[in-house]
Amino acid sequence: MFDILENAIEKSRNLGASYIEARGETGFIEYIQMDDSRINALTQRIERGVAIRALVDGAWGFVTTGDIDKLDKAVSDAISMAKAAAPSRREPIELAEVKTFEEVVKANPEKDPRHVPIEEKIKYMNDMTKVIRDYDPRITAVTVKIRTASGQKYLITSEGTKIQSPSLLVWTYPWVSAKDGPKMSAARYEDASTHQGWEYLERVATPEVIGTAAAKRAKLQLEGVSAKAGAFPCICAPRVIGTLAHEALGHLAEADLTVTSAFGGKVGEVVAAEGVSMTDDGTNAGKVGVSKYDDEGVLSSRVEIIKDSVLTELMTNREYAKKINQRTTGNARAESYLYPPIIRMRSTQFELGNYAREELFEGIDFGYYCVDFRGGQAQTNASFQVGIQEAYEIVNGEIGRPVMDLSISGIATDSLMKIDAVAKEPFEYEIGRCGKGQEALVSSGGPDIRFAVGGITFGGKA
Amino acid sequence: MVTETQLLELCQYIVTVGKDAGATAIEALAKYENQIDTDIELSQISSVNQRIGTGIAIRLYMDKKMGSAFTNIPSKESAKEAVNLAIAAAKVTTEDPDWVGFSHPQKYASVDGLWHKGVVDANPGEMVASTGEIITKGTQSEPGIIIAGGGAGAFSGISAYANSNDVAASEKGTGAFIVEVGIARTETSTTPMVVDYDIKRGLNIDIDKIVKTVADQIRLLKIPAKGKTGKYKVILHPQAYSQLFTYTLLQGARGDNVARGKSMIADKIGDTIASEIFTLVDDGLYPTSPATSIFDDEGVPRQRTPIIEDGVLRSFIWDTYWANKMDLKSTGNATRNMRQGLVEIDPTTLVIEPGTREIEDIISEIDYGYYIQSVQGAHSSNPESGDFSVVGNPAILIENGKMVGGIDGLMISGNIFDLLKNVVEIAKTAIPLFSWVAPEIMVKDIDVVAKD
Repeated sequence: MFDILENAIEKSRNLGASYIEARGETGFIEYIQMDDSRINALTQRIERGVAIRALVDGAWGFVTTGDIDKLDKAVSDAISMAKAAAPSRREPIELAEVKTFEEVVKANPEKDPRHVPIEEKIKYMNDMTKVIRDYDPRITAVTVKIRTASGQKYLITSEGTKIQSPSLLVWTYPWVSAKDGPKMSAARYEDASTHQGWEYLERVATPEVIGTAAAKRAKLQLEGVSAKAGAFPCICAPRVIGTLAHEALGHLAEADLTVTSAFGGKVGEVVAAEGVSMTDDGTNAGKVGVSKYDDEGVLSSRVEIIKDSVLTELMTNREYAKKINQRTTGNARAESYLYPPIIRMRSTQFELGNYAREELFEGIDFGYYCVDFRGGQAQTNASFQVGIQEAYEIVNGEIGRPVMDLSISGIATDSLMKIDAVAKEPFEYEIGRCGKGQEALVSSGGPDIRFAVGGITFGGKA
Repeated sequence: MVTETQLLELCQYIVTVGKDAGATAIEALAKYENQIDTDIELSQISSVNQRIGTGIAIRLYMDKKMGSAFTNIPSKESAKEAVNLAIAAAKVTTEDPDWVGFSHPQKYASVDGLWHKGVVDANPGEMVASTGEIITKGTQSEPGIIIAGGGAGAFSGISAYANSNDVAASEKGTGAFIVEVGIARTETSTTPMVVDYDIKRGLNIDIDKIVKTVADQIRLLKIPAKGKTGKYKVILHPQAYSQLFTYTLLQGARGDNVARGKSMIADKIGDTIASEIFTLVDDGLYPTSPATSIFDDEGVPRQRTPIIEDGVLRSFIWDTYWANKMDLKSTGNATRNMRQGLVEIDPTTLVIEPGTREIEDIISEIDYGYYIQSVQGAHSSNPESGDFSVVGNPAILIENGKMVGGIDGLMISGNIFDLLKNVVEIAKTAIPLFSWVAPEIMVKDIDVVAKD
């Protein structure tokens, strides 16, 4: 693959581009879905394709193709595309200078998912279905999905970068439905690794662990009470605080969105309560979303987005690093050769605080403890929403009844100021699939964090 | 560039190869797509992009065991390899006793206007020109507005389908779109993003309408307003309720969810489940819609299926597998995720019957209420119970018959089946979205929670 990409770049030397990158991909990708023990989809595919991105006269041209025998044409098309756009620009797009690298990065899965027999994968799904069915007789329907990938990504740039890196994935996702009389509930769970092979699903994300996690939540939903609407004290557990770190704050600190978001022009200012720090860590070893280099060939690094309550640094790609005069952070990621790299998060978290977890509950007469989420969404005015699939009332400082279909929201810039306690205990990460026009697998987390009244708004009956 | 005939012949070749290799039944779906589009960032064109590709998806059965495969290389050699992968998969999967068969030959409707040569011939220069026009007009439309995103695009595609029951069909289509994403700074923060777009089968995009819609919203959103917690009248723009319906009501209308006991309305055919002014039709043949085609991803003719008529639940939507299982007929709603191999039941174009008064007249009679342009978090609704709790954003306060300003952090909650019964008025003019043709609706007694 490197030869083909290098050839295409070499031939384009005199066509007027100030920068060209070719990203190639070959690999095995698999999707299996089981609905109530029936295999509903089982697709294994070998995919091969190339993305060409050219910067000409300060504008980008991007071409994606599965036809790797005609890359010369793809390169000249990308250059023509850029030339068409260039005259319309008031100022040219420029790229921050970066060090170039030549490296073959290896993954070391014990069990490459490509070579695990389908029978074993189906057994995993059948086992999970059984764990879920056996959990509670009121469970009515079970869907289990798995995705795996095993392949190679190739990056060549006209500046001399030449990186081969692995593309590895094992992903598991059950969806559980339950019914009790007229009451219906649903819950999901999700886990993945982009660094380990099938062994991750055998040792960590086992049918028992993942199946039980989903079934438990569907049962709690059936037994839950309705949420009260309004403002209450709220403690967010790692899976929910991680989602807030990603949705509510992370997106505002992606440099391409920051300029027009509520964080615009606020670098250097206090944006959070005392003791709050948040990072996006491209060096968080073994975590989903983390890789040595990003898809522009920039070395991944740790970004201290909020440090001791001050907005310190934004996540950048080469274009935005130059535009805002900040360092490159290695946040340029592309879902596949079908998309250009854009600024994405990797492993985003709130840093540990000083409180013992139990101390967070002290003094709360009534509030909510939000443990797991169903989905979340952010907007540029810092408004966020997170659907909660596992939550409990807090009554007189104790965890009480489960709550069904809770949804929380807030204006992140206000909510951050309402954080009044951050726990010191380490936490587990949750993994998510972030959508920003293309999908990125990310990990997020944080310790238990308490918001004073007014930080979080709860939807429900008015 | 592949032709319609080449693509259909490739599908038929796959069927032959599969049968020869011992498949009990086999189907192939091939899609060629070519799109040129532009990206806008911060009121300038940042990139021009081209995506060309062919995807070929295969599903086959060995007795009652299913296997599927995908390839993005449109050659006989790759097709043959993909058939072999699907057969290998089928051999090791479990038997599905409920599987009956693929679709059978039927007559397809003809729909005019799905293909325009002008779109196929569109070049990057034309896309850049229309993008430039919307940036210029957008930037001048309202002080302080930034065209934060959007772009223009033209796409053409060919679909072909063949199966071992002698179904063979192909069609081609085109489309073009322009999207404007506007935003403006406020005293303390920014407005939410306001998105408007036009999408047509041809190149006749209405740029001025998009620019005016975004500017009108931004103008209002720059004025901060406060909301009140309580039960209020709310007007929902189709961008807002299409998301809510997609993740709740329409999940309940999917045949597979009905059959699997996952739908709240599974036993409600013939019952009144919505206000009597509410009619919702899934129209796979709606002439101007970009979601229209003459056959679905299983080669079944697209059709018009009334889901709710005058408040009464009339029909669910089906694909071949689940219709066979329930002894019904597919409504032509199969959608295949080409790369994953998953065939799911999806609506086509959803049409809501319009009312008699324009939206301005409806708003003019509201003393206090809200206009919600879009929502955050619809995907976190409970698809089975229909419970939702989302943030209206952009949300605009209506006072004394006038829209007065934007509200941050306004939540609306409830159950979709209660909401349907509380639809009190539907506006006269439909707003075409990608797969909806639907006017604003006014709903009473919605639980609204305003941020303190």
